[in-house]
Amino acid sequence: MNIIIVGGGLAGTLAAKALRELDPDVGIEIFGEEKQPYYPRPNLIEFLAGRLPAEKVFAFTEGWAAKQRIGLRLGETVVRVRPADRTVETAAGESRPYDVLLLATGARASLPPVPGTERKGVFVLRTLDDAIALADHLRDHRRTVILGGGLLGLEIARAVRTHGAEVRVVEFFDRLLPRQLDPAAAAILKGQFEKMGVSVVLGAVTQEIFGDGSVRGLRLESGAAFEADAVVVAAGIKPETSLAREAGLAVAKGIVVDDRMRTSDPAVFAAGDAAEHRGRVYGIIPAAFEQARAAARNMLGQDLAYAGTVPANTLKVAGLAVTSIGEFGAEGPGFESIVRAEPEQGLYKKIVLQEGRAVGAIWMGTSKGAADISRLVTFKKDVGSRKRDILEDAFDFSEIS
Amino acid sequence: MDKYECTACGYVYDPAVGDPDNGVPPGTKFEDLPDGWVCPQCGVGKELFSKLD
Repeated sequence: MNIIIVGGGLAGTLAAKALRELDPDVGIEIFGEEKQPYYPRPNLIEFLAGRLPAEKVFAFTEGWAAKQRIGLRLGETVVRVRPADRTVETAAGESRPYDVLLLATGARASLPPVPGTERKGVFVLRTLDDAIALADHLRDHRRTVILGGGLLGLEIARAVRTHGAEVRVVEFFDRLLPRQLDPAAAAILKGQFEKMGVSVVLGAVTQEIFGDGSVRGLRLESGAAFEADAVVVAAGIKPETSLAREAGLAVAKGIVVDDRMRTSDPAVFAAGDAAEHRGRVYGIIPAAFEQARAAARNMLGQDLAYAGTVPANTLKVAGLAVTSIGEFGAEGPGFESIVRAEPEQGLYKKIVLQEGRAVGAIWMGTSKGAADISRLVTFKKDVGSRKRDILEDAFDFSEIS
Repeated sequence: MDKYECTACGYVYDPAVGDPDNGVPPGTKFEDLPDGWVCPQCGVGKELFSKLD
């Protein structure tokens, strides 16, 4: 049996790894648009910050794929999939047959419909090539505007700031990380960035990225303008679905798959950032993992259902641990919030109660107790009498059963 | 000994188990892992791990 994987990123590579572990004999070939083998994307931030040299961003040692008898066809883009005769065609015109195909085509950085994104000095950060180009540019262009104050935008801001560049984050929403933080926690996070020397502009609608051939700055609809030598757009990602669409497969936001990661063609599977499962495109590493593993099993005819991924409620933003869970923003009759905030330390703890039961929480600036508070919220524990003590550093969670 | 979780992919490093596939014997503390050690699941470095409590 011959399996072809389109996409050499996390989903494609980890699916290949799983396939080899499950079956020593199946033929596996990965076609990747990028010339480099798989690297974990968080490493690009480490590279940008100068903490990790480019040659060290890769996950597996050189020669790993060959040892696993996985054919790596890097820099060879698949331009067409023909489900009817089960072949793929590369940009060089080569046609390759498959018995089973995995589309792990990933996602690309979204560019907002703002005039000027084509100017020299405008960057996205999605691939290693993007990261290298940005790092090169920043060596002699110091004033940077990051368009987008989400997780990626904030990580880029911190990484670029490490080099002493002048960094400004411009965010459309009226606070940072609105999906993870309430306004008070978001304000503390903003303060932490300002302490690092990063300025943060909220509620900002970008009118244009201005300049001549090169970027000279960013203008907002409010009339405010910031001069800049580099603009980094961190405005989310969009699934890469064009191959699937042209092959006639079902595509909505992503390539539509069932619980076996199978597309509308029984010999074609999809996994990772390109896949849409039960209406959802995840775009997060743990989901890509679980999908790749499920796809690998089902591609070999072993039945393994994928039921979706529960996104972690803990993340690390700019070195700060952030846990948010449940109805952390709930207010009004029936809800009670207990808050402990120490802005200077970047510490914010909040628990939301409904009739004495924990229904939501935010834990920022510490991971101590984060797993415990998540458990209390998951099981909606009655914490009524201890509600204030819970926020203390020394609280012993074993007191609440 | 403390366990550490990879914030990128969710892999948990358990010192009692170590990472024998990559030459780390059981009983190795997270702090004692070599500098070049990476998450055996997704390949990110130690700095992206956080302590589980």
